[in-house]
Amino acid sequence: MPPTLVTVAVGVLLGVALLGPAFDRRSLAVVALVAALPDLDALLSLWIRGATNAALHTVFIPAAAAAVLYWDTRRERSWLRARYGWYGVRVAWVAVAVYAVAGIGLDLFNVSSAAVVYPASDRYFSIVGKLVLSTQDGVVQSYVAFGDGWLEHLTRGTTDTRHVETWVNPTPGTSNPPDAARTIRLFDAGWQVVVVATAVAAVPARAVVARRDR
Amino acid sequence: MPSPVVHAGVAFLVGVGLLGTYYDRRALLVIVGLLLVPEIDTLAGLVLEGAHRSLLHTLLLPISLAPLLYWDTVREESWLRDRVGGYGVRLAWVGLFVHVFVQIGLDWSHLDGVNLFYPLLDRFFKLDGEAYLSTADGFVQTFVEIGTNPETGSPRVDVGQGGTTETTHVANPAQPSKEPEPGPVDRRAPIAVRGWQLFLVVAGLVTVAAKHLQGAPPEAE
Repeated sequence: MPPTLVTVAVGVLLGVALLGPAFDRRSLAVVALVAALPDLDALLSLWIRGATNAALHTVFIPAAAAAVLYWDTRRERSWLRARYGWYGVRVAWVAVAVYAVAGIGLDLFNVSSAAVVYPASDRYFSIVGKLVLSTQDGVVQSYVAFGDGWLEHLTRGTTDTRHVETWVNPTPGTSNPPDAARTIRLFDAGWQVVVVATAVAAVPARAVVARRDR
Repeated sequence: MPSPVVHAGVAFLVGVGLLGTYYDRRALLVIVGLLLVPEIDTLAGLVLEGAHRSLLHTLLLPISLAPLLYWDTVREESWLRDRVGGYGVRLAWVGLFVHVFVQIGLDWSHLDGVNLFYPLLDRFFKLDGEAYLSTADGFVQTFVEIGTNPETGSPRVDVGQGGTTETTHVANPAQPSKEPEPGPVDRRAPIAVRGWQLFLVVAGLVTVAAKHLQGAPPEAE
């Protein structure tokens, strides 16, 4: 998976954009935690084979959260609103968006892939490729390839055949030799540094904006 | 460069929050419009060698503009505020932020990088590398490499510096290659390359869509 640091940065950027008047230190901390949450399935993979990028990277989790949230906030006596007011409702919706876009999306649009419909299917999906306009070749597109009536390039094997390496579980299967080499990825490429730097700068900038707007 | 489409996607993501109460559709359009201005150096490349990603992608431009903007906007009688009001001042600041972090930042990490200090120092820089913690090697990062030159033995710091405007040409649709080649010219305008660029575009669109779905906060608070 892309480094959790980068996932959190994208989550923070989304929080800065969408929290609005609910933007404060507490709500930002919630959003950052939620962005990192899906990567905890690496821990589950120590008991469940192939849980990394699958168990918590499934769209069913944010979908269910959104459904419950919608149901609760539409009621006359909303539990969430009664407890935390408008602030709580806003933070909850942003958290759902951050889980889906930063937590799951970033893996889906990466070679590391995510099993987004797990456990309905244990197939890993990844959207990588390019979209280029060329004066010689017209529109060149390789994000989705259609063949045999199925989206071909998308799949990267299943939770049985593919192991997503993490520092928690570096070797295939559920157990690791005691001397297994473990690596915590921080940045895979230059653009990730740029995204993290942007997030770090955007938070104080948003705080200044909030003070001005009041 | 990652295409203007990718720049616009990240600009949406960043701009929505920073525009604050001044957020509206026009403000977003202006921000994206401002991002297109530095790309004029693509065209300048046709007359001035190596101008693409040098002339208007230099850090010296925002470094000199930011204090000027600050000085003007803290004044009692601000020239800018007199003309365009608080709305325009906010747009200017957000535009500058997006230009530095999104445009120069992303281009810095892409292809041959950016001529960061042009024209003071004519040298392209590229942000490239990785960083990790491992049980075998400890903390490793390859963005800034300090070592010795194998030929001369002198110490050398590698921060991704590349060629100069004379030796570096960053391909673009207006000028696909440095020297005209025989045969039909293939001008390529990338929209998005690789998963993460498409992701950033999608994230930007989702942000704007979500912003439109959001209700207004209650008046009482």
